[in-house]
Amino acid sequence: MNSKRGFFITVLLTAVLLCIAVFGVKIGNFEIKGADQMRYGIDIRGGVEATYEPKDLGRAATENELEAARTIIETRMDAKNITDRDVTIDKGNGKIIVRFPWKSDEADFDPQKAVSELGETARLTFRDPDGNIILEGTDVTKSKAQLSPQDGTPVVTLELSKEGGEKFAEATGRLIGQEISIYMDETLIRSPIVGSRITGGKAEITNLSSTEDAAALASKINSGSLPFSLVVKNCNIISPTLGSSALAVMVMAGKVAFVLVCLFILFYYRLPGLVACIALILQVTGQLLALSVPQFTLTLPGIAGLILSVGMGVDANIIVAERIKEEINTGKTLLRAVEAGFERAFSAVFDGNITVIIIAIILIIFGSGSMLSFGYTLICGVIMNFIAGVTASRVMIRSLGNYKLFRKPQYYGARRQVNDQVL
Amino acid sequence: MIRFYKHRFIYFTISICLILCGVVFAFINGIQLDIQFKGGSILKYTYSDTINAEEAEKFIEQAVGRTTNCQLQTNMAKDEKKLVVSLAGNEALTSQEQETVTAALTKAYPNATLTLSESLTVEPFIGKQFFTNGMIAIVLSFLLVLAYVGWRFKRIGGLSAGTMAIVALIHDALIVTAVFIVFKIPLNDSFIAAVLTIIGFSINDTIVIYDRIRENERLMGKKTSVEELVDTSINQSMMRSINTNIAVFLSITVVYIFAQIYDISSIRAFALPMMFGTISGCYSTICIAGPLWTMWQKRKEKNPAASASA
Repeated sequence: MNSKRGFFITVLLTAVLLCIAVFGVKIGNFEIKGADQMRYGIDIRGGVEATYEPKDLGRAATENELEAARTIIETRMDAKNITDRDVTIDKGNGKIIVRFPWKSDEADFDPQKAVSELGETARLTFRDPDGNIILEGTDVTKSKAQLSPQDGTPVVTLELSKEGGEKFAEATGRLIGQEISIYMDETLIRSPIVGSRITGGKAEITNLSSTEDAAALASKINSGSLPFSLVVKNCNIISPTLGSSALAVMVMAGKVAFVLVCLFILFYYRLPGLVACIALILQVTGQLLALSVPQFTLTLPGIAGLILSVGMGVDANIIVAERIKEEINTGKTLLRAVEAGFERAFSAVFDGNITVIIIAIILIIFGSGSMLSFGYTLICGVIMNFIAGVTASRVMIRSLGNYKLFRKPQYYGARRQVNDQVL
Repeated sequence: MIRFYKHRFIYFTISICLILCGVVFAFINGIQLDIQFKGGSILKYTYSDTINAEEAEKFIEQAVGRTTNCQLQTNMAKDEKKLVVSLAGNEALTSQEQETVTAALTKAYPNATLTLSESLTVEPFIGKQFFTNGMIAIVLSFLLVLAYVGWRFKRIGGLSAGTMAIVALIHDALIVTAVFIVFKIPLNDSFIAAVLTIIGFSINDTIVIYDRIRENERLMGKKTSVEELVDTSINQSMMRSINTNIAVFLSITVVYIFAQIYDISSIRAFALPMMFGTISGCYSTICIAGPLWTMWQKRKEKNPAASASA
């Protein structure tokens, strides 16, 4: 690359990336979401984070039981039309962590009630077309998804208790050719048609679309015999109005902080200051992209981390600018001073950034919930700092130094007149 | 040139006084743990009309049978009134109990249009776990920083450089903790984050100075005294230290001011200690880590056999 053009290419590149980060881009299947479509944590968009655990269970819940419990929660959330959710199982501690947003258009949504309802004991029922209950969840001892030994299609097998088997034999005898509907609470999950009278306590549901479909159905039926209800031990509810106003405030704070930091370095370091401002824009752009491309959750502490890394990111430029000033003052030509400045400053910037990375990783590992986002923005800030504050800044300053116009030492805050000779 | 080594005892005294101040306040104010760490429940409602906090406490205590504390808050910027209900107890408040609290309040104050704006429930056991995790994180970061600095600065005595950097970091961590105590901010995960960030930021400062010492040792030769070497290095990189700190201080102060005006307590509780932490980080690097390291090296000069490895 012609080093003279470096500055303008970097500025152009920064501008393009900034536009992508702010407005997003969509080409065919490839999409980068804009800044307004960030995936925000519940502390910004409002929502619920609740940790469920088995109630009064004298032992640790097994993995299968936790899976079944998750199925119950997911089915209920489907029924409530909560699609944008996140249900994870903490196997080690026997807990289920549920996160879902509380949208601002749901004025009469009662999050406390929703949290309670999700944890209630599931009531699984098999009903005849008139709505009479044939079987209950506890009548099913085991339900399993497998491939049919006859034709290899996915099926769900049911094993019934003795009493359940008798009830089922009676009902299937009566309902040949009709539907038996399986409900969880009041949500219909499947209506298989009875092919023949089923005796012996073993049944099979066929006609399933895929093995996944079969597995999901089996797990839903299993959840009906779950021996415990769930109780909420940790819960955090934040209303959407509270969160969205906090977001607006933090975005405003970010803009003000950014402008102040830029004014400060422009005023103090002049030309390297200008370069630092552009590098900062590039750094923040990179951080925004690192959030929006993988749709990593951004929380309020995450935004604070972003703002903080603006302050910390400028450090690389300050170290370099100070170094360049010193080198000019010792009598070096400008281009030599720039080169020496970057070279000498590099080890300090490098070591400093590595320690911040160490800290950020610790934050990510140990930090709970919203602090994860803080660690993430911090670490992205440091990585971007290597690219923007070190590499891009060097390209820009070197390029500007090639123009006679920008070679005056006072532009770099130096005292001495330099020889105007090129390297 | 400022003679940092010569005036070292003044700086040490200032730091010790500040930390003692924190200790005194710890006895006066006590160290408050947020419910995130000690467990319990907090429910925040917005309301209109008027509510009597003591009366509300009674209603809630009757409804759920737990010790309750109610507080009323107002916010100038948003013109909204808030009722803050804190409940103690060894068991976490269940979601059913939460509903009961809301129901009891709505029944008692039908005209107040009470709306839940925020609620947090943490089981004491899990809170303790969070707290332990946080402490492990802080200790671990100290160790890793010590290891990294020790390795990178072998040339200027890795162990001594690392140890003195850690002394400066502990200083900063204590100052940040003192701010939490003096301003009665309950410790929660923002505390851990604030301490860790300041550690990361302050070590950055220290490293820049060590880096300069490492470089100057080569340039200035063996004849220069340690004192001269360190003072020169600190003075050379001081403008950078101060300017970087101004930049960080500016950004975190803006965050604090906005959080204060618009009453975002989670951010406010984090930004204020960070403001003090940045200043402390800069100060501890220049006035504590450098001079302490000089003292260590001087002792070694006098007594080369005793600490040959450091």
